[in-house]
Amino acid sequence: MEKLLEILEDIQPDADFDTCETLIDDGVLDSFAILSIVSELQEEFGISITPADIIPENFNSAKALWAMVVRLQDE
Amino acid sequence: MSLISMEFLVFVVLAAAGYYLIPRKYQWMWLLGFSYVYYLSGGIRAACFLAFTTVTSWLAGIGVESVSGRISDRKKAGRKKKQITACALILNFGILGVLKYTNFAIGTVSHLTGADFDMMQLLLPLGISFYTFQSMGYILDIYWGRTKAEHNLFRFALFVSFFPQILQGPIGRFSTLGSQLYESHSFDRSRTEQAVLRILWGYFKKMVIADNAVIFVNAIFDHPDIYDGLGIIGVLGYSIQLYCDFSGGMDVVIGIGELFGIKLDENFRRPYFAVSITDFWHRWHITLGTWMKDYVFYPVSLSGWMKSFSGFARKTCGKQNGRTLPICLANIIVFLVVGIWHGAAWKFIIYGLYNGLIIAFSGLMAPSYRKWKKAFHISGDSRGFHLFQIARTFLLVNISWFFDRAEDVPTALLMMKNTLTHFDLHQILEPGIEIGEASGTTYTLIAIGVVLCGCLLVFAVSLMEEQGRKLSEIFERQNWLVKSAVYLCLILALPALGQPSGEAGGFIYAQF
Repeated sequence: MEKLLEILEDIQPDADFDTCETLIDDGVLDSFAILSIVSELQEEFGISITPADIIPENFNSAKALWAMVVRLQDE
Repeated sequence: MSLISMEFLVFVVLAAAGYYLIPRKYQWMWLLGFSYVYYLSGGIRAACFLAFTTVTSWLAGIGVESVSGRISDRKKAGRKKKQITACALILNFGILGVLKYTNFAIGTVSHLTGADFDMMQLLLPLGISFYTFQSMGYILDIYWGRTKAEHNLFRFALFVSFFPQILQGPIGRFSTLGSQLYESHSFDRSRTEQAVLRILWGYFKKMVIADNAVIFVNAIFDHPDIYDGLGIIGVLGYSIQLYCDFSGGMDVVIGIGELFGIKLDENFRRPYFAVSITDFWHRWHITLGTWMKDYVFYPVSLSGWMKSFSGFARKTCGKQNGRTLPICLANIIVFLVVGIWHGAAWKFIIYGLYNGLIIAFSGLMAPSYRKWKKAFHISGDSRGFHLFQIARTFLLVNISWFFDRAEDVPTALLMMKNTLTHFDLHQILEPGIEIGEASGTTYTLIAIGVVLCGCLLVFAVSLMEEQGRKLSEIFERQNWLVKSAVYLCLILALPALGQPSGEAGGFIYAQF
C-alpha cells in the first residue's frame, strides 16, 4: 500500500490520496492520470490491467486501487 | 422530418400525450412505434440499415453473454467472445466506413493518380454514426462485463432507435438509458414545465442565434477572396453558430426526453469556459468524448503493442517520458479517429490531429508546467491565471474551427494568415448588404445585433451555471405569471428574430 501511495503522489502531487474516495467522480484523476497510474502499477506489481478494469469503482480511492492490485495479483 | 418543423412538434405532442394515456406497461412499445415512424419518414432504405445494426448488435450481445455459460474453459470462452465481438464491430463499422468514406477514398486516389474515377451514389442513413457508436458501445460493454445483454429484440430496438436522440445524439449507454426506456413513467407537471423550457431555450439558441450567425459565417467562409479582412469575424461567428446549433439541438433533444421522463446524458457543459483543450473536450460533445475514452483510448493504451512501446520508451527516454509517451500516442490516435468521424476530408483529419497534438504536448509538458508555476510563484487558483487559461483555450479552439469550417486546408491556412495580416472590419460595416447577396440570403446589421444580444443572454445563463446556480431551479421557484412570460417571450422570439429554417438549414450534427 505504501508503494502504491508513493506512485499516486508522484503522478498527481496535488491530490489527497489518504482520504479522498471520489477521485474519479470528482474529476481529480483524468484519463491521462489514470493511464499513468495503470502503467506504473503494471510495471511495479507485474499485473495486467485490461479496459474492463478501468471503472470508477476501482479508481475512486487509493484503497479501491489497492484492492484491484491484490485481486489481479491473485488471478 | 426536421426537428424544426410544425409537423415534428405535432408528432412530439401526440407521442407525449398518448404516452401518458395508454396503460403504463405499453409505454416502451409506444415509444418504439413512434421512433420507427419517425425514422421511416426519412425513407425505408435508411430504416433497413438501422434494422440491420439493431439485429446484429442484439444477436452479438446475446452471443457474447451466453459464451460464459456454455464454455467452461476460460481461455476458449474468451476467444469465442472476442470473435463474436470482432465480427459485430467489423460488420457495423464496415457499413459506416463504406457509406461514409468510399467517395473520400475515390477522390483521394483520383487526386494522387490524376485519373478521373466517378464518385458513387451512396445512401447515408440519418444519424448512422450515432446509432452505430451507441450499439457498438453496448456490445463492448457486454464483452467487458459492464452490462447485461437485452434478450427482447424489440426492447433493444428502442434503445438503438429512440427518436429524439437518433439524429445527433447524445450517444447513450445501455446501463443508464436502457432501464429508463423500459420502466413506466407517470406524468409530472413540474418535470414537463422544465422540459418545455429546455426545448424552447434550445430552439432559441438554434433559430435565433445560430441561424442568424450562419448567414455571415457562410458568406465569409464561402467567399474568403471577397471578405479577406473578416477571417476573425467569420471564425468567431462560427464558434457561436456551432455551439448554439449543437448545444441548442441537444437542449431540444434532452427536453423531449424529459417529456417522457427519460433523462438523456448531457452533451455540453459550458465549453468556452474550458481552461485547456483537454478540459474543452470534457465539456464539448461529452458523450462522444467519453465514448472515445472508454472504447478507443483505454483499449489502445492497454493493447499489447502499446505495452511493448511503453517498455521501449521507458528504456530509451526514462521513467517519466516512458510512461507519458504511449499515452500521448494513444491520444493522437483517438483524435485522429475523432477527426475522421467529423467528416470524410483531409481538413477534418488535420482538425483531429491538431487537437491530439496539443493534448499530447500538454501531457508531456505537465511536470515542467508544475515546476515553472512554482518557480514564478503563479497560483493556479488565482482569478487572473484562470482567465488567462480560458482565453488561451478559446484562442486554440478557434484556430481549430478554421480547419473545421473552411472549404479545405489551404483555405483555412490562407484565412488564418489574412486574419493576422489583413484585418479590415470595414468590410462588414460598409458593404454589409453584399454579404447577404454573396451567401444568397437576406442580411442586415439587425441580424448582427440579434446574434450579439442572444450571445449575451447565453453568456449570462452560462456564467450563472458555471458559478453553480441552476437555471432550472430558479425557474421552478417562480410563480405561474413569470413562467408564462418566459415561455411567451421565447415562443415569440422564434418567428420574430429567428431565420426560417429552410434558408439557414438543419442542425449541423444531424448530418453525421
